[in-house]
Amino acid sequence: MIGRVLPVPRRLDLVVLGCALTLSVLGILFVSSTTQGGRFDGLATRQAVWVLVGLGAMLAAVLFDYRVLLKFSFVIYCVTLVPLVYLLFFGETIANVKSWIRIGGFQFQPAELAKVATALLLAYLFENEDDAKMKAATVAKVGTIVAIPFLLVFLQPDAGLAATFLPLLGVALFFGGLPARAWVAIVIGVALLAGIAWFVLADYQKERIGTFLNPETDVLGSGYQVRQSKIAVGSGGFSGKGFRSGTQSQLRFLPVQHTDFILAVIAEEWGFLGVCLVLALFASLLLRALALARVARDRGGVFLILGVSSMLFFSVVVNAAMMIGLLPTTGIPLPLVSYGGSSVATAFLGIGLILAVEYRRFANA
Amino acid sequence: MLRVRENRRELTSRIDVARIVVGAVFAVLASAYWYVQIVRGDHYFGLSENNRIRSVKLTAPRGYVLDRDGSVLVENEPAYSLLLYRREAKDLARSTDFVIRLLGIPAEQVRARIERGRRYAEFVPIPIAENLTLEEVAAVQARAPEHPEFAIGVSQRRLYKRGGSAAHVLGYLAEATPVQIRESKNAYRLGDWIGQKGIERTYEKLLGGTNGERRVVVDSNAREIREESRLESRPGQNLFLTVHRELQELAEECFAEQVGSAVALDPKTGEILALVSSPSYDPNWFTRRVTAGEWSGLMSDPNHPLQNRAIQNTYSPGSVFKVFLAYGALASGEVDPNATVYCPGQAVYYGRAFRCHRRGGHGSVNLRDAIKVSCDVYFYALGRRLGVDGIARIARAFGFGEPTGLDLAHEKPGLVPSEEWARTKRRARWYPSETISVAIGQGPVLVTPLQVARALAGLIEGGRLPTPHLFFASQDPRTGTRLRYEAQPKKSLELDPKRLAIVKSGMWAVLNEPGGTAFGSRVPGLAAAGKTGTVQVAGRNAVPRAGVDRRRLEDHAWFAAFAPMDDPKIVVVVFVEHGGHGSSAAAPIARLLLAKYFGLPIKLRAGEPGFVQAADRSAAAARPAGEVSP
Repeated sequence: MIGRVLPVPRRLDLVVLGCALTLSVLGILFVSSTTQGGRFDGLATRQAVWVLVGLGAMLAAVLFDYRVLLKFSFVIYCVTLVPLVYLLFFGETIANVKSWIRIGGFQFQPAELAKVATALLLAYLFENEDDAKMKAATVAKVGTIVAIPFLLVFLQPDAGLAATFLPLLGVALFFGGLPARAWVAIVIGVALLAGIAWFVLADYQKERIGTFLNPETDVLGSGYQVRQSKIAVGSGGFSGKGFRSGTQSQLRFLPVQHTDFILAVIAEEWGFLGVCLVLALFASLLLRALALARVARDRGGVFLILGVSSMLFFSVVVNAAMMIGLLPTTGIPLPLVSYGGSSVATAFLGIGLILAVEYRRFANA
Repeated sequence: MLRVRENRRELTSRIDVARIVVGAVFAVLASAYWYVQIVRGDHYFGLSENNRIRSVKLTAPRGYVLDRDGSVLVENEPAYSLLLYRREAKDLARSTDFVIRLLGIPAEQVRARIERGRRYAEFVPIPIAENLTLEEVAAVQARAPEHPEFAIGVSQRRLYKRGGSAAHVLGYLAEATPVQIRESKNAYRLGDWIGQKGIERTYEKLLGGTNGERRVVVDSNAREIREESRLESRPGQNLFLTVHRELQELAEECFAEQVGSAVALDPKTGEILALVSSPSYDPNWFTRRVTAGEWSGLMSDPNHPLQNRAIQNTYSPGSVFKVFLAYGALASGEVDPNATVYCPGQAVYYGRAFRCHRRGGHGSVNLRDAIKVSCDVYFYALGRRLGVDGIARIARAFGFGEPTGLDLAHEKPGLVPSEEWARTKRRARWYPSETISVAIGQGPVLVTPLQVARALAGLIEGGRLPTPHLFFASQDPRTGTRLRYEAQPKKSLELDPKRLAIVKSGMWAVLNEPGGTAFGSRVPGLAAAGKTGTVQVAGRNAVPRAGVDRRRLEDHAWFAAFAPMDDPKIVVVVFVEHGGHGSSAAAPIARLLLAKYFGLPIKLRAGEPGFVQAADRSAAAARPAGEVSP
């Protein structure tokens, strides 16, 4: 009632928005640095277009009532799974995997959208499942919701992309309040699964893991990427070699530098300072998102922020760690920064959902 | 059923845990980057520089070799090699087939080269074949669109312009061996060419110059982006040799059919005017990579063409040795030059008869005549008086038993026997009868032709032994600055001119008085002096066994000469293996060389270079060069 009389304060969180925008601008800047001249010329402009598309998606998410989205989350979830199933049967193989759909001149990864949809459905689930002790049925539901897209992507076969669904499972179980002894059981289960996975993984996937364990063995093979990326990062030193002056990136020693390895380019050209800037922006964004989750109006909003943030967090950490060889090369891009339309657009969509929860914190109905 | 709703506070406390976890993970990430970028930064910076900078060698052009008058003996010519870029090769089997069909080289060789090349980085081209002809180069270039993996490499190859001429002086180049690379402390790399023999070896540093280096920035495909720095190479020095080309070539012609050696040098300076070892070889073989067949042919030749007979083969000096003993005995006061020895054709020492080469005997001979007629009996007596150690002292004073110091490697010292040598090296006592043989240059005494030439130079120069050398001058090809050879201080041994005159007079008589052993080889108008030598190879009554070349039983022939008498300009030593008598086999060659050197006309005899048959004379007379004396 009051809402109709007094204008309800609508709150756009400028910290989250500012961090996301700054990161995407950095992305465009360094995509242009690594792709000037040569066959990748013009990718920076494309990236800028994708950032605009992402901003549009973000704006839509903010303005649209997320509670309506939550209500229809099951339908949305199902709709986003359709292209994943389609890909398995009719997908075009690009770089060993069937994870891209080509529309006009653009390529799109439907799995990225499926991640957001999964986060939505989980939030909707916990909106209603609020028992003090998590029920076994709830655990089963959570497991099923995450497992379906995970398996569809895993079969593409893109294990790295599939792995980005796993933080959703962790978040749901942790924040849903899974008891300690269940965690013990999960750890044992995962260990067993890992053992089985070794027999299921494709050779090139095993090779990547092997390379991770000992990157010096095959300098020009798969260890090459990690080695060149470490050289790029390390040679940047404290303040870097200067924008567009990184020898590793400009002379193309770095592989897929504008996509997965863009952080190595930043590290080489802007040094440790540049890395700190990027990490600080992500840290501020995520910590702010958690703060917003803490005060969110409803349980669905809390879980929506947590789900979206966990995926961002997971991608950032895995990507940053693989630049310096702390984790194997998995093909996970740096959200908002790496070149790639679907990655940037869905990242902004996720940011939009975080902002949406805060936007309607004091709104009724 | 009663639902117990979760307290919101539980959820917020979990979020607080998550905030700590997120903060901690970012702190860990930042410190990991701190380690890589700050702590290990210099290490990785070095690696990134290594990545982008490649060093390309700029090979210094090797210096030319010229004779003393500036005619080019050795120069460089472009050589083409076939290179394979593995990165471009899509189908190695097809590439291999192409090479085999084009060049007709064995498939195993191509595969072996490719295998060897795999040890290096992918961007390093693999050399498949060297010394392509211009037709082959054209064929490769014509097929370039189909076979982009092949490229033609251009390098400089050594060209010995006069083939086998002076081969033992010049030597040859070959790829540096692993041992040579190690000894150079990696100044040379695998595949570098390095002087292996001759002056190419001795003056490797001088001729080779200093390689330069280009440092280029490359991208990850090893494509050159730009040049970072350039250090120009310093070309090798041009080397002028003391060799008198016409004399050298005439001497080689004289040895066309014979095995042996000739040395001509300037007695005052030690400059080598000619140095011949026959048979010879063509050093160009080595720059074109010797095939296994050629190599084994060269190695199995019983006459060992690679051997430099002037410095690496040692022989008994024969009667040539007598002049040194004669002087040595005069100098020590052991003999009166006018005292005579009666030669009945043989003498008996220690119960054994020693014959003179002249069965009928020479009658009474004094020292001068003994040299002139080369009387063995006179020198038997002299040798017995001197004793083997007395002979050894004289021989060493003239430089026998040690390398002469010529600027070529692997010179043999020869052997001067003494009682001590017999005791310590031979491990059998010295028999006095051996001394009698040594007195006429037979027995265990061994010398090289160059040692004889140097000793004779020392004798006629009053005791100053020159250091024989081939280095005449070097010249910087850019500045033209020339460096001359500075004569080394000579070894001094005091000779008394009056006593020396007696020995020289005896040697003059050898060529210029009837009855002298080389009277037939005098050059009209030239006051030359010399001494013949004949080295017995088999016993006088030896019968050739089946399977042994009769020629191998022939005596070795020596002749050592100098001219002119009063101010010697040249010493010539000729040695013909199994040539027979010194007077008939060696002296005529020396005659030709002396005539050539002093530009004096002589009447050529049958078989001598430039000789024209009487019937052909009229025809040859039409040619302006036909009648020219050597």
